[in-house]
Amino acid sequence: MSQANLNVDSRRASASITVKPRLRLSAQQVTPYLFLLPGIILFVTFILWPMLYSLRISFYDWNIVKAERSVYVGLQNYQDALDDPIFQRAASNTLFYVLVTVPGQMIFGTLAALLLNQRFPGRALFRTLYYLPVITSWVIVTLLFEFLFNGQAGLINSILESAGLIREPIRWLADSRLIMIPLTLLGIWKGIGWTAVIVLAGLQSIPMQLYEAAAVDGAGTRQRFTSVTLPLLRPTLVFLVVVLTIGAMNVYISGLLMTRGGDPMNESHFVLTWMDKQTFENFKFGQGAAISYLLTAVVFVVSLVQIRLLQREVDYT
Amino acid sequence: MNTLGRQKYTAFAVRYALLLAGALIVTVPFIYMVSVSLKPQAYTFEMPPQLFPHDITFEHYREVLAKQNLVVYFANSLLVAVASTSGTVLIASLLAYAFARMKFAGKRVLFSVLLIGMMIPPVMLIIPQFLVAKELSLLNSLLGLILVYITMSLSMQTFLLRGVFAGVPQDLLDAALIDGGGQGTLFWRIVLPLSRPGLAAVTIFTFLYSWDEFPWAHVAIRETAKRTLPVAIALFRRPDLTEWGQLFAMSIIALLPVLVVYVIFQRYFVAGIATTGLKG
Amino acid sequence: MLRHKLIALLIVVALLWIGLPIERSQAADPVTITYWHTMSPAETEQLAKLIELFQKANPGIKVEPTVYAYDDFKKALLTAIAGGQAPDAIRMDIVWVPQFAQQGALMQLDSALPDFKKIADSVFPGPLATNLWNGKYWGLPLDTNTQVLLWNQKAFEAAGIKAPPATIQEFAEDACKLTNGTKQYGYALGGTYFWAPAPLFYAMGGKIVDDKLTTATGYVNSKESVVAFQMLVDLYKKGCLSPNLLGGGVGTAQGHATGLYSMIIDGPWMVDIYKKDFPDFKVNFAPIPTGPDGKSSSVVGGEDVVISAATQHPKEALAWAQYLVSEEAQLFMAKVGVMPVLKSLTGSKDLPPYFEVFMKQLETAQARVPHPKWSEMDDALNTAFQKMLKDGKPVQDALDEAAKTIDGLLAAK
Repeated sequence: MSQANLNVDSRRASASITVKPRLRLSAQQVTPYLFLLPGIILFVTFILWPMLYSLRISFYDWNIVKAERSVYVGLQNYQDALDDPIFQRAASNTLFYVLVTVPGQMIFGTLAALLLNQRFPGRALFRTLYYLPVITSWVIVTLLFEFLFNGQAGLINSILESAGLIREPIRWLADSRLIMIPLTLLGIWKGIGWTAVIVLAGLQSIPMQLYEAAAVDGAGTRQRFTSVTLPLLRPTLVFLVVVLTIGAMNVYISGLLMTRGGDPMNESHFVLTWMDKQTFENFKFGQGAAISYLLTAVVFVVSLVQIRLLQREVDYT
Repeated sequence: MNTLGRQKYTAFAVRYALLLAGALIVTVPFIYMVSVSLKPQAYTFEMPPQLFPHDITFEHYREVLAKQNLVVYFANSLLVAVASTSGTVLIASLLAYAFARMKFAGKRVLFSVLLIGMMIPPVMLIIPQFLVAKELSLLNSLLGLILVYITMSLSMQTFLLRGVFAGVPQDLLDAALIDGGGQGTLFWRIVLPLSRPGLAAVTIFTFLYSWDEFPWAHVAIRETAKRTLPVAIALFRRPDLTEWGQLFAMSIIALLPVLVVYVIFQRYFVAGIATTGLKG
Repeated sequence: MLRHKLIALLIVVALLWIGLPIERSQAADPVTITYWHTMSPAETEQLAKLIELFQKANPGIKVEPTVYAYDDFKKALLTAIAGGQAPDAIRMDIVWVPQFAQQGALMQLDSALPDFKKIADSVFPGPLATNLWNGKYWGLPLDTNTQVLLWNQKAFEAAGIKAPPATIQEFAEDACKLTNGTKQYGYALGGTYFWAPAPLFYAMGGKIVDDKLTTATGYVNSKESVVAFQMLVDLYKKGCLSPNLLGGGVGTAQGHATGLYSMIIDGPWMVDIYKKDFPDFKVNFAPIPTGPDGKSSSVVGGEDVVISAATQHPKEALAWAQYLVSEEAQLFMAKVGVMPVLKSLTGSKDLPPYFEVFMKQLETAQARVPHPKWSEMDDALNTAFQKMLKDGKPVQDALDEAAKTIDGLLAAK
């Protein structure tokens, strides 16, 4: 699943160029739209229209077999979703996931990027290795982690027992709280490489002169890091925090496969897996749509807040 | 070695050790996966688990290639990924070029709409996309997958490419204009060739996405014959007896193409991201 | 510039062209019907061969099977029906038929099939009855099965036990005698869904609802029902029942073959599953131990073949369904452990020898609740069992709660 992305460039300037009026007027006016057309058609058909459709459904008790029998219920779906203890549990599970995986990926990803930023033999190999989890499908890595965390014969338990850290095997997947651990570890593990690559790009765009100038001014390694690297890395880091947060709030495949539908008692859901169950198992399409919009609203608000809080002008004289 | 040299050496050693530790954490699960795919079924859950197999068997790979339709799923995934990637690169380039270097009414609005597209949880669209695809008779067809994949990639990839295209020096474009070139020439002959790293990044991202995508493929494709790899692998589990060896064999085979694509395009990767202006 | 536009257009056309041939091939003759099922790998292979036989005899019809994971199946079916993409024929769990019939998703077969009465007379009454809802028949029985005890002879001998347990009392004792920490468990259940504890539950006199399907109170929380679940909970607490039933552990089939679980309770399909994945393992079957009344029991399972109400090819789908109940087809599938529903095949020498213990068990096995809301009742029982094991909730309380829920489901219409 690709991470959703966001433009953090709050600076209004966009790089548009005016074409000099040497071309025929009609072509100049028409051509942009020709360029835009294929994308717009797809966007409207498969994103815009479905979004509006979904919004509409969220206000109905939607009958999937006979749509005309759907009953208008206004905001009832939203209210029901918010009042539902299962949804509340799903929301808190999702929040936990976000609070653990986003910092986790940021920290380890940045660390890895810093380490990878040096020239040394085998660098390309290391970069590929770190990126391996990123290019592997969520399906595969989820099943892999499920296997690793098997409560009776899993490798993780075996390692923990050999290290003397536990006496009895931990039944990770049988407990609705414990299962959050393999899920969050998976989330971090999968994202480290991606974060590292983005940070690397940011690091490599910092001009060497700045470091040299700082060194001339007497700055040590740590000071160079805090006064040169971090500030110039800030836009990248802001971008990452926002994107990773959106991605984390959208956790779905790993939850779906590992919890097999929230476990029999619906206690280990994420918001999207609960939405999936409500829609495709309980056949409450209206509820599912409402939940999806609640999530979208939260994603939107959180992203805006983050951008505002984290972004600041970088001024270098 | 003097003190400074020794310090540098220690620092380097520490860094390398950390890097190695990280690499281990990242790769050991994969090693284990390969290992299980080579163990006979009886040893899948041997207690205590062994990282490396005693007896190596290729029966899972043979079984999976011969009996489990893996070749079909692989072909489906390949077709869909290649088509989605080329489609996305083309259409996103067109969009990005328009945003980066053309002037037209409603540009700001359209761009904001595009950005909002990046914030929408893809999974939430599954439901209405299912209904729309049904209306367009695109359910159960690989084309339905391709079109949706292209659409879902558009926002992000257009955004990336816009940054890339914006960085092309104006003088080159002016020179071409003086020579009498139209927008098409500028696009095709100048901007695109100069943006190879960015396009490479877009190619990897889209290929990865299409190859690994699960939620939409799961809902949209019903026929076994049209399944893509992630769906086939996910549905391989059985409650009483999951043949993990086969499952992991399938997974390893599924991993190879993305690995190849990554290795090929990797050179452009970091450079590509830098030129897209993500950092600011 | 025009050239570039043309190239772009060509690419779009190429994409469309890729998509279309895949559709076109289906519109040509002959008629293709889709058949969805959840069979094991061994059964699926056998089905492929059966389809070849059918297609040879019926050149105008092609059958396209799709195998689904059981956990995913109902969701896939409901989504497909909702999306107007329902398969033509379905091999459906007997307990789902009332639900799908009530939703209007199935074709009524006693009116659609001219030969229905003949077929009905040729099959066992029990499996036939699973197709009955609201006075009408919505499917044909396809196969029946039950669960019996599988016991690991080597483990038994190593523990000094000469024979598999004949009574529930012996069963409970043996389960603990055969347990050795986490390396070996005497007994393992596949999960907490009702199908897993059902055989022992029924053998111990447990019941879910009364015969008229009016109430669960006094039945699911009866003394016998409580005793049955209590035994399982006690075994779990003592460590004789493997913790895998709560999820994330080693599966029952795998565990039994590798010696981790000395006893499991499962169905006839195990023979072919083991033949494929554990060819060196020898399976031993025994009847479910007898309960306090000295009688054995188990749970009836099986599948019916149903036709979608929305099928575009009713004639072909009906032909396929009828074929599946023919002697030829039933004997063919019997080779991989699929038990036939035809009366004429009882005692047939062509049936695998291990069928005998299952057929005997079928004489005392009981059906679950033939009600459209059975899935939700199953959920209630599942939740109760989970609470007993995870939260330590007293068995009586958990079952009282389940009784209330099931009563509510029975009352609602």
